[in-house]
This record gives sequence, structure tokens and C-alpha cells, in this order.
Amino acid sequence: MTDENTSTDDVRADGSGIVAPDDETPTWRERKERTQGLSQLTYEYFERSRREDQDLRQESDYVERDVLAFPTWPHEIIRNLAIASFFVGMLLFLSATLPPHIGDPANPSSTPAIILPDWYLYWSFGLLKLGPLNPELSILGGQKLMSDRMYGVLANVVVVGFIAIVPFLNKGSARRPVEQPFWAAIGVGGVIFALTISVYSAKNLLPMNVNLAFDLTFLLPIVGGFITWAVLKTMREGYMYDLNRRYYRLRPPK
Amino acid sequence: MADEFIKGLGIFTAAGLGWMILAGWYRTPSFESQEQLVSPVSLGDSATMFDTLGVMLMDAFFWFTIIGALTFWVVIPVIRQAREKLQERAQ
Repeated sequence: MTDENTSTDDVRADGSGIVAPDDETPTWRERKERTQGLSQLTYEYFERSRREDQDLRQESDYVERDVLAFPTWPHEIIRNLAIASFFVGMLLFLSATLPPHIGDPANPSSTPAIILPDWYLYWSFGLLKLGPLNPELSILGGQKLMSDRMYGVLANVVVVGFIAIVPFLNKGSARRPVEQPFWAAIGVGGVIFALTISVYSAKNLLPMNVNLAFDLTFLLPIVGGFITWAVLKTMREGYMYDLNRRYYRLRPPK
Repeated sequence: MADEFIKGLGIFTAAGLGWMILAGWYRTPSFESQEQLVSPVSLGDSATMFDTLGVMLMDAFFWFTIIGALTFWVVIPVIRQAREKLQERAQ
């Protein structure tokens, strides 16, 4: 590949031609005119690394790929080393300067008043308390099919299973919630349910009626999901209008 | 503007870190207590000159955190904007 050859079907290694021309995209001249402070530094860094990348691609006999990216060495590695050094240094600094905290040893013969798992497992702990949902079947003479404990464990299986099959149910290519309001609503409902079931897991500490808390645990996710769906449905018209305007500016109708 | 922001943020985080460490020594009775970093300073009879210095430095860090950040985020931009407005009016 030579520089003289500038026909249109020639593969350009510098990344130009991949990004669609847009009225909002600054030209290289405009970028060069940002000659102050941080923007100038950013421009120089970007331009130099782009140039290095281009030279490397042109010198090598490696197959050309039209992927815009920086090489791992040195750009990514140096940045990651800087971040890793910062956090290691912070760990060393804090452990060296803060007073040591060594609490009393745990007493295995006394049970603490409040028993809770770590905070990120509250949702699972809350699912173990779904006893009121366990139906008493008249066919069994008003008995329950399984114990409340078993029911709670199975609820965990159901929730984890649902989360596992969501990627198979929705294989869409949407990048933004506004493109698929229904699935966005499912997601928001799931997040709210994770919060409410976590709060419900500490129902004995809640300063409210336990039955009300139980109802809210399941009602709030539905209400939140419905509001999300409605808002996104309303937003979608404006979003599609914007998208279409962009599209027709790039490719005007004949 | 970005330079002023990072100066303020640098002061805020660095001085805040210094204050947090000294407050961890002098204003934290226990790391299991309800009042960490804010309980009143209690220097015992065994306090040395370094402890007194540490408490002084802690207060200095605290006010540097607040005043330093406010200076770069609020005071200097306000002065600049006011100066620009005054120049516009003069022309």
C-alpha cells in the first residue's frame, strides 16, 4: 500500500472513512485549532498515537483490519499500571497511617440480637421469608405442599433461573432503554424488586406494618416497571424523530 | 476552567485524606462506635507534643479542605466572571 494510490476503494489504514460524515463531527482543521491547554494536549497525544498506529500498520505485513483502537502496549498497559500503582499505594498508605483496628474476638457461645447476611445477600435472605405466599391446598386438607423453608429455597432457584433465561428471551440489539420500553420496564422492575425484597428481609426491624411491607415488596416493582414503560413509550416518539432526522440528513431522499 | 476544577479537587481529596487519617487517631474512640471522625477530641494526660501537633494539623487540614476547594471552585471563577462583566460594561 503506497501513499500515491488514493483511489476510493483503497483500504485506508488511518481510520478515516469509517466514521460517517456528520454535521456535528469537527474536521481535522477544527481540531487543530483547539490550541489551548488540555484540548491541545489531548489532540497532540491522540494525533501522535494515531500516527504511530498508522506507521505500524503500514510497515507490518499483518492483515489490515478496519478497527479503531489503540495497541495494548504501551497505551493500555501504562494506563493500567498507573491505576494499579495508585490503588496499591493507597492501600499501603492507609494501612501504614490509620490506627490499627483489632476488635474483640467473636464469642461463639452467645447469639447476636440481629442476624443478617452480608448486604449483597439481603435479597436472597428476603426470599427465604416468603411463607405467606406458600399456598395451603384444600386437596391436601388445608396442608402445605412443602415447608416454608423449602419454599424459600425454591424461590431462590426461580429468581436465579429467571435472571439466567432473560438473555435468551430478549436477543434484541437495543443499546438504549428507549428502544425497548417493555424490556427496560422488566429491568427496572427487577432492580426495584431486589431493593424491596432486601428491605423485607429485615422485616423484624422495619418501623411499619409487616403485612403492608410484604404487599409493597411485590407492588412497588410492578408500579415502577409500569411508570418506566409509560415514560419510555412517551419518549420514544421524540427519539425516533431525532434518529430519522439524522438518517435523512446523511442520506437525503431522492 | 478545567484546570481550576482539578486544583480544587486535588486539594479536596488530598487534604481530606490527611484530615481523615488524623481524625481516625484523635476523633475516633472506636471503629465500632456510632460517632467516628466527629466525636470530641480527648487528649489524655499522656499526650505528647506530637499529639498536640497532630490535632492542630487535623484542624488545619479540615479548613484547608473546605476553603481550598471553595476558593478554586467558587471564589476564583466568580472573580473572573465579574471582571469579564466589568470589562464588557466598560466597552
